[in-house]
Amino acid sequence: MSEATKQLILWLIPAAPLASAIVTALLGPKLLRYKSHLPCWTAMAVSFVCSLTLLFSILPSAGTAEGSGGAAGGPQAVAVGYEWLKVGTIAVNIDLRADSMTAIMLCMVTGVSLLVAMFGSGYMHHDPGYPRFFAAVSLFVFSMTMLVLAGSFPLLFVFWEAVGLCSYLLIGFWFHKPAAAAAAKKAFVVNRIGDFGLIMGIFLIWQTFHTLNFTEIFGNTQALADADPARIKLICFCLFLGAMGKSAQFPLQVWLPDAMEGPTPVSALIHAATMVTAGVYLVARCTPLFVLAPDVQLVISGIGAATAAIAGITAVTQTDLKRVLAYSTVSQLGFMFMAMGCGAAGAELVTPAVTAGMFHLFTHAFFKALLFLAAGSVMHAMGDVIDMRRFSGLRHALPITHWTFLVGAAALAGVPLLAGFWSKDDILAVLGEASRSEAHGTYFRIIQLIATGTALLTAFYTFRAYFMTFWGPEKFPEEAGHHPHDASTVMAIPLGILAVCAALIGLIVGPTHLFAGTLQKIQGLTPVENHHLHWGVMAVSSVIAISGIAGAWFFYIASPGIPVALAKALQPLYQLSSRAFFLDEIFCVLIVAPLTGLASLCVVFDRFVIDGIVDGVGAIPKLISAAPRQLHNGVTSSYAGVMWLGVVVAVVTVLSFFQS
Amino acid sequence: MSGDVERFLVVGAGLFVLGVVGFLTRRNLIMMILSAEMMLHGVSLTLVTFGRMHGTSEGQAFTIFTLTVAACEAGLALALVLNLYRKSHSLDIQLWSRLREPDLQSPADEGSGGTPLTERDPYKGLPKLTPAGRMPSDSEAVRNS
Repeated sequence: MSEATKQLILWLIPAAPLASAIVTALLGPKLLRYKSHLPCWTAMAVSFVCSLTLLFSILPSAGTAEGSGGAAGGPQAVAVGYEWLKVGTIAVNIDLRADSMTAIMLCMVTGVSLLVAMFGSGYMHHDPGYPRFFAAVSLFVFSMTMLVLAGSFPLLFVFWEAVGLCSYLLIGFWFHKPAAAAAAKKAFVVNRIGDFGLIMGIFLIWQTFHTLNFTEIFGNTQALADADPARIKLICFCLFLGAMGKSAQFPLQVWLPDAMEGPTPVSALIHAATMVTAGVYLVARCTPLFVLAPDVQLVISGIGAATAAIAGITAVTQTDLKRVLAYSTVSQLGFMFMAMGCGAAGAELVTPAVTAGMFHLFTHAFFKALLFLAAGSVMHAMGDVIDMRRFSGLRHALPITHWTFLVGAAALAGVPLLAGFWSKDDILAVLGEASRSEAHGTYFRIIQLIATGTALLTAFYTFRAYFMTFWGPEKFPEEAGHHPHDASTVMAIPLGILAVCAALIGLIVGPTHLFAGTLQKIQGLTPVENHHLHWGVMAVSSVIAISGIAGAWFFYIASPGIPVALAKALQPLYQLSSRAFFLDEIFCVLIVAPLTGLASLCVVFDRFVIDGIVDGVGAIPKLISAAPRQLHNGVTSSYAGVMWLGVVVAVVTVLSFFQS
Repeated sequence: MSGDVERFLVVGAGLFVLGVVGFLTRRNLIMMILSAEMMLHGVSLTLVTFGRMHGTSEGQAFTIFTLTVAACEAGLALALVLNLYRKSHSLDIQLWSRLREPDLQSPADEGSGGTPLTERDPYKGLPKLTPAGRMPSDSEAVRNS
């Protein structure tokens, strides 16, 4: 394969969705209408094929990264663009850079996008915004692939914002619903807090290393070693703040459950599989920096554990099927961050930690997208009702949805041999190893305990949702009509493919060392050869998963009276869980209310001070003209008289001047 | 000779002042134009007088020139008056005072201001057409009147 072809393939990955977005946006409303999915499908397919080519054909033959300090840099492919801006000594190029982590992310993103786009064409069937939906999805995929392919921090930041924009557009897709508009605004505003951290981190990186290119920063071990540790700590903290916003970590996780107001395919694509994992990707990408700041890694683990536990507890009492899945996403993201921080316990743990986090990201994308799409299929059949109390026993009415949801739920719960089992095991194993270290053993033991508890909760709430939806007496809401219809072919195919992936992908790439071996070729990680399976952890987590499922079965099938009685008996705890620890209320009191007060102060200032000054200035000409305007009375004779008098005065003046 | 000059000048000044007074006091458009013409002729008379006094012909040449310009000006002015009349069906200049300050009460509004347009019969006083041929439409009738 020639160099030009390789570059072309690399460029095609983002270019195809961009072209689709432009074509759909321009031609969609008038020409394509209900065929608007065609450009989107084509573009996703092209991107997916190019991503696979990149992973399996270009990267194995590519040269290694050139680090000036001789750091181990894996094979990477670079597509040179053009110089975007050059100010002083900052030069930012539009360059694409792909290493094995990028390639894995790209395959995952484009693959899931393709399936979601297929599902979406069935789900959004006859929505008046059909072309708009596919234009926004294409734009999102373009931004996401560019975010992953970005070769430098500024480019990453631009597309970090672009995916945020697409998320905003798609959460608020049904913008005439006040809840959707408010949720979109909330997501946008909360994300800005994180983005502030990210751009501060980028400024600090520029100040410290005088370059913003990934390869140059991470390859220069000398500069990394020489840098001020306090400065590195600050940089890492700022970058993590960005990751917290995008990946919905405590306390910035409040936007993600509300984001479920968007169409369900969007929840599956953006708010489960791809965009929310961008924070994890950022932390993994910056591993060489985070290694130098163990304190920040401890914070990352702690925040991850807190998020996972809080979201897990919240998910237990939710009655909205999509909200259960949303809190579960937040919880799983917490798992990923828990793993990412394990490097603090020892340098030899960095590589397994990042691998475990990225592996969970990878498998999570498949089974969570599957769960969301299945939930979307339920929603479609139930006439857009998503409250689990209003339907039950759907397993006979919706057999395809039922089986695919079951696979996804089992994978999320960590049933042995399914995808979630392998990745969650990796995380628990890394946490176990970290808890045996001397430096922060106790800290990581607590986190490991939280992780184990959260894993139990995960199995419980996932199967609670499953049992409440698909078991029990058959009951449909009146919105569904008399005959709920199962997923149509165009929706069933993506569900089936994702179900197969959720079931098998962990088994294929996990224990065979395929994923780890590919991922560990990137800068900052040292390939670990002696890969072994953690039988002890596996046994424990299998027991946890089975007991969680059994618990859900006991509470919601065997004796359905108990949860209601428990909720009544433990009303404060129940409220705490179902209202998500009152975080929204706390934010309202602590942040929103003072800001609203400040805004009303500003209104008063604007109305009385600023407007007063402006009106005062405007009154001056009026005041001056009060006397002369009396002459302007509309009587022609008086105008003529004044003119005549003026001429007389002028003539008399001139004559007397010449005489004297 | 000098007595003659004085008498001519007095007549010229008188014409001019009469014109000014007429112009300032009349509200009829045509009367105002006539007053303006009167001022012009007062000035013309003065020019001719001075020309005679100095024994030169510039004064007379100037007057002939002024008369030419005055003829053009009268034509223009009468055309304007005609158009104004067609719009308001009145020669009262006070009907055309829309550019004044809106909140000021004009002294001319009291008493016999121009009657509002709607209360008038637009065809009143127009020559009667022979009742033959096609009946002209309203707009045509107004344009041809």
